[in-house]
Amino acid sequence: MLVYVVRRILATIPVMAVVALFVFSLLYIAPGDPAAVIAGDQATPADIEKIRQSLGLDRPFLIRFGEWVWQIARFDLGTSIFTGLPVTQLIAQRIEPTLSLMVVTLIIAVNIAVPMGVLAAWKAGTLIDRTIMAFAVFGFSVPVFVVGYILAYIFALELDWLPVQGYTPISQGIWPWFQNLILPAIALGMVYIALIARITRATMLEVLQQDYIRTARAKGLSQRAVLFLHALKNAAVPIITVIGIGVALLIGGAVVTESVFAIPGLGRLTVDAILRRDYPVIQGLVLLFSFVYVLVNLAVDLVYTIVDPRIRY
Amino acid sequence: MTVHSPQTPATLGADPGEVTDGGKRRVGVIRLIRRYPTIAIGGSLVVAVILMAIFAPFLGTTDPTSISTRMRTREPSAQFWFGTDMLGRDIYSRVLYGARVSLVVGFSVAILASVIGLAIGLVAGFIRAADAVIMRVMDGIMSIPSILLAVALMALTRGSVGNVILAITIAEIPRVSRLVRGVVLSLREQPYVDAAVAAGTRTPMIIIKHILPNTLAPIIVQATYICAAAMITEAILSFIGAGTPPIIPSWGNIMAEGRALWQVKFYIVLIPAIFLSVTVLAVNLLGDGLRDALDPRLAKQF
Repeated sequence: MLVYVVRRILATIPVMAVVALFVFSLLYIAPGDPAAVIAGDQATPADIEKIRQSLGLDRPFLIRFGEWVWQIARFDLGTSIFTGLPVTQLIAQRIEPTLSLMVVTLIIAVNIAVPMGVLAAWKAGTLIDRTIMAFAVFGFSVPVFVVGYILAYIFALELDWLPVQGYTPISQGIWPWFQNLILPAIALGMVYIALIARITRATMLEVLQQDYIRTARAKGLSQRAVLFLHALKNAAVPIITVIGIGVALLIGGAVVTESVFAIPGLGRLTVDAILRRDYPVIQGLVLLFSFVYVLVNLAVDLVYTIVDPRIRY
Repeated sequence: MTVHSPQTPATLGADPGEVTDGGKRRVGVIRLIRRYPTIAIGGSLVVAVILMAIFAPFLGTTDPTSISTRMRTREPSAQFWFGTDMLGRDIYSRVLYGARVSLVVGFSVAILASVIGLAIGLVAGFIRAADAVIMRVMDGIMSIPSILLAVALMALTRGSVGNVILAITIAEIPRVSRLVRGVVLSLREQPYVDAAVAAGTRTPMIIIKHILPNTLAPIIVQATYICAAAMITEAILSFIGAGTPPIIPSWGNIMAEGRALWQVKFYIVLIPAIFLSVTVLAVNLLGDGLRDALDPRLAKQF
């Protein structure tokens, strides 16, 4: 077990190395002259040259890459072109809202999606099942900002039940914090709910055909016990896998959700950085988010062994 | 079609008798619609949006870029069916022309990502030495959330439809190549491929005759999902200001422009949002239907 954990952790190193190399190479493989694009339309040749130097584009690729990796290894993500502040400092300032949004979304989504998928599988072929699956297709198709604006319009502007936009730090109380996150979390969670509900239904359908489910029913267990204790436990591995993979959707979606709901998090930092063409900031954010994503999926792999003791490595 | 091997999933769904002569074919189409209503609904909606985009100039539209300061933010009316934006541009015209951007991006990304992903997947599936390296690279790219990857690329290039297509394609390629590689690896174990190898068939011929026809069904299904995802990503990129240049009307751009006024002039955001959602829904329905029709084994997974 310990050997497996260590091996699995070591296996993330090449993945992160590829991510780093790829993100770094973008500066070189992007069509046109990135320095000129970053400098903007009114830039003088001297401005462009300055940016070229600050990005290290005037030096050989491999040397620059080596320096850059060494820099990251010391938790230094470079300096923002626009603000002149270290990228790590900008990220630290903005991380709380994004983290809150993603955790709340994750909890809400899993608690809605898994029971939905179980219900659909239990009532397979009925109207309930079809309604849930239709909802899932809908969830896949309606982009996060569309759901966001419609929710905000109905529940905040028209009904006035929840705050329209903004973010309250958790230090000012759980309820004000949570209140501001409900609508963004539902908007952001829509695709995620659809994804998890679909995989839950599919795996549950398969599990429910197994002999031990018939046995459980035959010995008179309640429907609830059969579904949630026996079936769901055995369907857990694919579901957890999708929950992990789906975190990429949350990360991408957070950028947009934060714009719609005016949440001052990493998503807004990303959008601001694009508008200012502040590439070091974008590079740092892409690296950070990819790192988080790899870590989440590492955690998922390790959770397997707890959920399903049959999995031995 | 004669090169299809017996195991081709595509032949499982359809009764061979249906496609032999003209008279029966018509019955076959009706039966197909009955059996896969999602293909019929999704397909006809997609065709409707395509026609709308092509014939946009003839559908009562005006110049989608013409500015009229006197006509700013008019609510929907008989003159301006969907109202006007804060520069007085006709939203009905902008939405119809905007369909072009979404469709071009969606279809281009679907085709490019499928073709490039297919090539990479075939190489990885057939050449053991290349497999490990290629798949590590694909794993790495897949660990970067696709919207952020597109955002990073767009930050380095000038905003244009071509660059948007390129950025989204790069993010989608790993998914196709993984899919193709998986199909290739499982097909290589099939007895008929062994038989072909034993009979002295060369690798390129095996790929053309046995592998490609079998990858076609899953790739077509995957391509429709990629098309839908690309349309959403394009809208998101434009919405956050990293996509199609503002001068070109696209659904994401219209929403981006309506953003500042959304609390008072909600229709500016809502109308392109509805068009985008319905189009993506149509493509997704088409994909679900094709998946059920082309590959019953895949259908069981979801």
